[in-house]
Amino acid sequence: MTTATITALRKLPGLAKTAVLYGAFVLYFSPATELLSPASHAEDGGTLYNTAVDIRMGNRYFERQCSRCHGFDAKGNDETGAPDLTGTLRRASSDAGIFNIIREGIPGTAMLPVAADVPDPTVWQLVAYINSLRYDPASVDLAGNAGSGADLFGGKGECSSCHMVNGQGGRLGPDLSRVGENQTPEDLLQSMLDPDAAVAPRWWTIQVAGRDGEVREGFRMNEDSFSLRIMDADTNLWSFQKRDIESYERSEQSTMPGYGQALSDGELDDLVAYLFSLRREVLPQ
Amino acid sequence: MKKITNPFPPALAAAFLGVSFLVSAPLPAQEDPFSTVITPAFSPITWERLVNADDEPENWLMYSGTLDSQRYSLLDQINVDNVDQLEMKWAYQIPVIDRAETVPLVVDGIMFITEAPSNVVAVDALTGRQYWRYDHDMPDDLRICCGRNNRGVAILGETLFMSTLDAHLVAIDARTGNLLWDKEVAPHDSGYSKTAAPLIVKDKVVTGIAGGEFGIRGFIDAYDPETGELEWRTYVIPGPGEFGNDTWSGDSWKTGGAATWITGSYDEELNQIYWGTGNPGPDWNGDVRLGDNLYSDSVVALDGDTGEIEWHFQFTPHDVHDYDSIQIPILADIEFEGRERKVMMWANRNGFYYTLDRTDGEFLIGKPYAAQTWAQGLDPITGRPIRVPGMAPTYEGIMVSPPIVGATNWYSPGYSQDTGLFYVTSFDGEQEFFKRDEDYEEGERFTGGGGRYTQPMDAYHSSIRAINPGTAEIEWEFPIMPRSSAGITTTAGGIVFTGSADGYFFALDAQSGEELWNISLGRRVHAAPMTFAVDGHQYVTIASGNVVYTFGLRN
Repeated sequence: MTTATITALRKLPGLAKTAVLYGAFVLYFSPATELLSPASHAEDGGTLYNTAVDIRMGNRYFERQCSRCHGFDAKGNDETGAPDLTGTLRRASSDAGIFNIIREGIPGTAMLPVAADVPDPTVWQLVAYINSLRYDPASVDLAGNAGSGADLFGGKGECSSCHMVNGQGGRLGPDLSRVGENQTPEDLLQSMLDPDAAVAPRWWTIQVAGRDGEVREGFRMNEDSFSLRIMDADTNLWSFQKRDIESYERSEQSTMPGYGQALSDGELDDLVAYLFSLRREVLPQ
Repeated sequence: MKKITNPFPPALAAAFLGVSFLVSAPLPAQEDPFSTVITPAFSPITWERLVNADDEPENWLMYSGTLDSQRYSLLDQINVDNVDQLEMKWAYQIPVIDRAETVPLVVDGIMFITEAPSNVVAVDALTGRQYWRYDHDMPDDLRICCGRNNRGVAILGETLFMSTLDAHLVAIDARTGNLLWDKEVAPHDSGYSKTAAPLIVKDKVVTGIAGGEFGIRGFIDAYDPETGELEWRTYVIPGPGEFGNDTWSGDSWKTGGAATWITGSYDEELNQIYWGTGNPGPDWNGDVRLGDNLYSDSVVALDGDTGEIEWHFQFTPHDVHDYDSIQIPILADIEFEGRERKVMMWANRNGFYYTLDRTDGEFLIGKPYAAQTWAQGLDPITGRPIRVPGMAPTYEGIMVSPPIVGATNWYSPGYSQDTGLFYVTSFDGEQEFFKRDEDYEEGERFTGGGGRYTQPMDAYHSSIRAINPGTAEIEWEFPIMPRSSAGITTTAGGIVFTGSADGYFFALDAQSGEELWNISLGRRVHAAPMTFAVDGHQYVTIASGNVVYTFGLRN
C-alpha cells in the first residue's frame, strides 16, 4: 500500500476501504488452482483451498452455518459468547488450528463441530474465509515512519498523556500496546480524524449527580441495570447504586480531540505507522 | 432413605395424606420431636392435581406453574414488605458449562432440574443436595441452531417427561432417575431437535419440536405416557388438500419450518390446547415461499383429545424477519369492554401486544409494546399487521426493528391476578437484515440470510413492561440493560420476580414497577424464576449462568 493509498483513504467510505484491503490480502495469498482429493489431515490441506473462489465459498458457508453465533460480519456476539473472528484468534494460531476447531468443536463450549459429513475442502474454504478477515501485516506498506510516529506519540501529539503503551503513559484512554493487531491502518487513521465515529462503551462518559449535591464525571467503566462504575479525570474509581443517586447522564462521545487540524498528513501517516507496529510480535523487516 | 425431622413438616404430611391446601400464611410448626417421616413424601401427580395446581402452591408442577401459564403463585409469605430480607439458601452448580434455561419443578419437597445438553437431576428442595441424576446418551452429530438448551420436565404419575437435543422424548422414573422409555420424535440428523418442557394434557404428553432454521416441517405431538406410543400428530404446516396448504408457493410447505419449540397452555373447560409456532423457513428469504405461510408465526388451538386444529391466529403472515410466535400463551378471564371474556394475552416477538378471545381466536385489541418499524399498525378488525413497504431483508442489508432476537422471545411472560397486568421482558433494538439465496439440503441450515447489529449492545434499551390487557397500554416499565432473556413470575405477595442479562435477580412491585430488591448473581439469567414452599417456608429459585440458586427469608 502506497502513501497515495493511505492518504486517499481518508476520503473513502468504509466499504471502499475494505475493498482496498481485500485487494491487499488476495495478493498476499498465492492462488492455487489445482484441485486435489479431500485432504484428510489438518496439516497438509491448508494451502490448497485459498483462492478467491474458495474464500467466497467459505463466506457463503459461514453466513449459513456460523453467523447465527459469530455474527453475519464475524465480529462475534457478546450474548452467545461467540468470539470476534476478524482479529487475532485466541484459540488457534495456524490454519491447522482453525481447521481442527471447526472440525472438532471446542469441548465444554457452545462451539459444536461441523457435521461429520461436511467434506474437508468445505472446512478448508471456511479456514480461507476466516483468514481473509485478516491480512498479513508484513504485506502492508505504509508511507509513514514508525520511529517518527513514536516520537510524535510521546511528544507533539501528547498521545501518551492519555494512552498507555507497554506500561508507559496515561490512563485516560485505551491501552494501545497491541492496537496494531486488531485495527487496520485505516481504522487507526479514522480514530484520529474522527474519534466520535465509533466509541466503545468502556470510553463513554457518565455524569453522576449524587444525593449530596456532588456531581462526579468519569469514564463509564461498567454499567448494569442497577449500578455503575466510573473513573474520574484524577483516575479515582467510583461505584454507585443507581437507586442511591439523584440522576445520571451518559455521553457516547469520545473525550479525545480530532487530530485532522493539529497534525499534518505526514505526521498522521507516521503515527499510523507507529500504532500499526504495536503488536505482541515484532513484524519482520 | 430416612431422616428425622423436627418440627414435623406440615407440607410434607399434607401432601402425603393427599390433602391439598393453600399456603397463604406461615404455617404453624407442630412440636413433635419424636416423629419420623419418610422423605421424600412424594405422592403421584394425578391429572386432577395438575388441573388444580393452584390449590397446592407449595409445589410447582409444570413449566409455567399452572395450565393457564400465568406463572402467578398464590404464595405470599415473601411479599412487598419483606422481600428485601431474602438470602441465599443454597446453590446447585450444573456440571456442564453452558447456559441454564431450566425452570425446575418442585413436587412435595423434591426439585427436578434439567441441565444442558439434556440431563435431569433430582435434589432435595430444601438443601439442593442430589437424590439422583439422569444423563442422556447423545449422538455427536446434533443439528442445533442456538445452543445446547433444555428448559424443563413435565410430570404425570411418578414419571418425568423430557425433550432431548437429539429430538427424542424420554420418560424417567421420578423416584430413581431410571429411564422408562426413549422415543425418537423425529430424526435429529435432518435438523430436528427438542428443548422445551412437554405439557401434560389429561392422559397424554403433548410436545413440540425445534429446528426452524433447518427446513423442518413443524408439528405438535401427543404421546401415551405409559408406552411412549404416538397418539396423534398435528402438523402446523398443512399438507396438500388441507386448509392453508395453498398459502405456500410450490413445494415450500415441505421445508417451511414453523417449529413449535416452546411449551403451550391448556383450558380444561374449552378442552383446547394452545401452542405458538415459529418462523417460516428459510427465515429471511421469503421469495421461495410466497403466501401467508400458515400456520407459521401463529397460535393454534387444538382439540384436547384429538389434536385437531379448531382455530388459528397468525400474528405475522409471510414473515421475513424471524419473528417466531413461540411465546407462551397466558390465559385468564378478564373484563374487556364491560364484558367478561376468556382471553389469551400475547406479547409477540414482532413488537405487538395482542389480547385474543381464546374461545375462537377473535382479535380483541393489539398495540406495539416495543420499538418496531416493519408495520404501520394492526387492522382493527382482524389484527393483521399493515406492513411498511420495503422492510424485507435485502442483499445489501436493511435496518429494521425489532432485531432478530425480537421485541421479546421465548422467555416466559407473567400475569398477576391481583393487578390484572401482563408482564413481559422487552427489547427496543434494531438490526440490519440480510437476504441470501440458499437451496435446501437435508440437515443443513436453511435460513436465507442473517442479521448484524451496528452498535454495541449497551446502546440499546430494554425494559420489563407491565401491560393492561384491556387496553394494550403500557402501565409502567422498569429499565434494564443491555437485554434480558429472563422469564417472569408473579406472586400473591405483590411481587414480580425476574432477572437480567447482566446477572441480576430482582423483585419489582407488581402494582407500581418499583424496585424492591436485587442481588447480583454474576452471570446472565437465561431462565424464568419459580417459587415453592417446604415445611411452610416459601422459597424462590432462579438459574443464572450454570448455577441454580434458591432464596428464602432470613430465619
